[in-house]
Amino acid sequence: MLLAAAAAATLFRVVPLACAGDRLAVAGAGVLRLAEGASCAAIVPGRAIAISLDADNRATPQTLTPDALPAAKIPRAAYLIAPAAERDADQTELVTSTIDVFVPPRTPPGDDIFLSTERSGWSPAEVRMDRVDARHFRLVLKLRQGARVAFRVTRGSFGTIERDENRALPRAHVAKGEPDAHVRIDVAAWADID
Amino acid sequence: MAFRLRVKPPRSGFARVALAFVVMAGLPLGASARATATLDGASVFFFSDTLTLVARGGARFALADGTRASADAAYVDLKTDRVVLAGHARVTRGEASANADAIALEIDADRVDLLDAASGVTRTSRALGPASPAEFDAQRFAFPDVDDRYAFIKSRHATIVPHADVRFSPASFPTSVGGVPVPSYLHSFSTGAGFSSSSLQGATFDQPYGLWGSENALTALHARWESGPGAALGLQQQLVSGDDAYATAAIDAPLRGYPVSGFNAYRRLGSRYTLSVDGSGSKYGASGHVGLGSGFLGLDYFRSTFGSSSFTAALRTRDRPLFGGVTYRLSGNAGFDAQYGGLLGQLPDARRYATVWRHGLDLSIAAPTVHIPLGATLTTTYDVSRTWYSFPHYNDSFSANAAVTRPLTRTVTLFGYYLATWNANVYPNAQALFYPTLNPPLLLPDGTPYFGYAAFSGAGMSRTESGVLQFTPNGNTSYRLTVTHAADFPQFGGFGRPQWEARADVKFRPFPNIGIDVGRAYDFDWGGMRWQPRWSFAITP
Repeated sequence: MLLAAAAAATLFRVVPLACAGDRLAVAGAGVLRLAEGASCAAIVPGRAIAISLDADNRATPQTLTPDALPAAKIPRAAYLIAPAAERDADQTELVTSTIDVFVPPRTPPGDDIFLSTERSGWSPAEVRMDRVDARHFRLVLKLRQGARVAFRVTRGSFGTIERDENRALPRAHVAKGEPDAHVRIDVAAWADID
Repeated sequence: MAFRLRVKPPRSGFARVALAFVVMAGLPLGASARATATLDGASVFFFSDTLTLVARGGARFALADGTRASADAAYVDLKTDRVVLAGHARVTRGEASANADAIALEIDADRVDLLDAASGVTRTSRALGPASPAEFDAQRFAFPDVDDRYAFIKSRHATIVPHADVRFSPASFPTSVGGVPVPSYLHSFSTGAGFSSSSLQGATFDQPYGLWGSENALTALHARWESGPGAALGLQQQLVSGDDAYATAAIDAPLRGYPVSGFNAYRRLGSRYTLSVDGSGSKYGASGHVGLGSGFLGLDYFRSTFGSSSFTAALRTRDRPLFGGVTYRLSGNAGFDAQYGGLLGQLPDARRYATVWRHGLDLSIAAPTVHIPLGATLTTTYDVSRTWYSFPHYNDSFSANAAVTRPLTRTVTLFGYYLATWNANVYPNAQALFYPTLNPPLLLPDGTPYFGYAAFSGAGMSRTESGVLQFTPNGNTSYRLTVTHAADFPQFGGFGRPQWEARADVKFRPFPNIGIDVGRAYDFDWGGMRWQPRWSFAITP
């Protein structure tokens, strides 16, 4: 009967910071009170779990399911100690970040365009972009929520890296792991052309 | 501004690498930043895209100032240098200590927040003096919900240099195909432009292995595969000053072949100019270049130990509007080419022409992408140039490129390219001297005579027709088929470019953290071979 009630209840995916007595501290959220009979035994700090809230907003640990809501959805009234500002720190979620690169007219038409990122130690041909048309390339990255990937644009080698309008090396661009994030890059020049 | 590069023949490639290893190993010591934090745990996971460290199974965190902390688990955000210790957390410094259910602190700041689930949040400093009540700042106590299975590196000990790198001891790579566990691995996350520079030669595959690093320097060993010599080892030192300056030096030693050394330096001069110097050397000789660049000016000087040098000063306009979205750019250049013993070896008095001055003009026109019938778009560019020499000689060049894009469905696109370049070297009254009829005729590598080459008297043509079919079902996957036809002159059975090439490329992501880009290309009926296959392969994060 308890299981049936739990199944019907809304589940929240939380990362516990600590659990002691009847108090459960939730990362980036606040401090909740555990329900009667619930214990800290199965709670490992830093390891995500699911909780359900009863009518008195007391938390009961549950088996984690994919449909659990993020901690940011926990009603504020449920907290014994509420945060001053809320933040959902779910980094398991993959979000889509789109990078559009527009190349200058003198780019050799058949050349591929690549992204070079810090993830590979700046390998100049790390990720090949998909061609949209002769001067427009696109890459759709699946990034973890909160990711921050610094990148530069190349034609496959360091000798063909992008340059700015003064032929200087530009700062690294950044693709962010935010829902539907989009970056547009207009390459002014290439190191080996002009 | 001449400079000389002399490279003595090495006794062996490995001896040279070993010597360079010893010399270069000493270089970064002065630049290496002292590690300011360490993180230990039964398991320490590193997520490269979010620059996140998570320690589980009894985490221990230590700062260089003597601050020590422990907890059930710990999280370090390398983007913000924030640390969260969760569960039975304790922080000590000297005789002082504090306990809490969770503790938030920073690597490069003094603030320490203590969360007690019963009484709330208090705040103190690294000195751990009396704590005062504070608000529950959710941001400071954020501990990300990460899946350990997708970690890039799994370790037990991490040494952190803020804004620079993390060294893992040991390191395994749970999501990297073929990633071999190593006793120690340095991951650099500095973003200075110089870290993307390289003075190593191009390679089919290059896997760097960081040896030493700091925010401004990185010494890395490179495991490489190079077309031609095959497997190779490289050693590279990078010194970086933000995005404004860098210097790199490297030695590339193929297991079968001779080593090549290189260097590369760059400095931004104010907001409009850049200075660059680069060079390379092998047992056969060395060459170097120094250049001053900007949006409107370029000065370049090259020199080699083979006795050749050249200088070019170029002025260019930016792209300027012409009409209807069409732009043009005009550039002019002047300089010289020099060769010890004479440039024009065909002349009996070649020594008189050790230096030949030249000047040239180049007009480039680019049309915008326009819609054409059948739902396609067309993009074209044109370029015409002439270069005059102080010897009776001029060179004309004209090129025209067209690219057509035709989306067939939302995920399938057809591309077509036509690239043509006509080039002529003209020597008034001396054309036959510089382009004589060969007798006997030119022989190809397989011994076949190329009689048609006799028609080549300085005017050549290069034409490329290419068709590409691209299928991109989703952001992680793309398939591409390319057929290329090259119709050049001179070109024949192994001389010049292959006439036909077919290529297939597949890019896909079998695991969330691993991407694979594999390509197979064939050159057909060229150089006496029915076809000649090539592979390309890349593993991407």
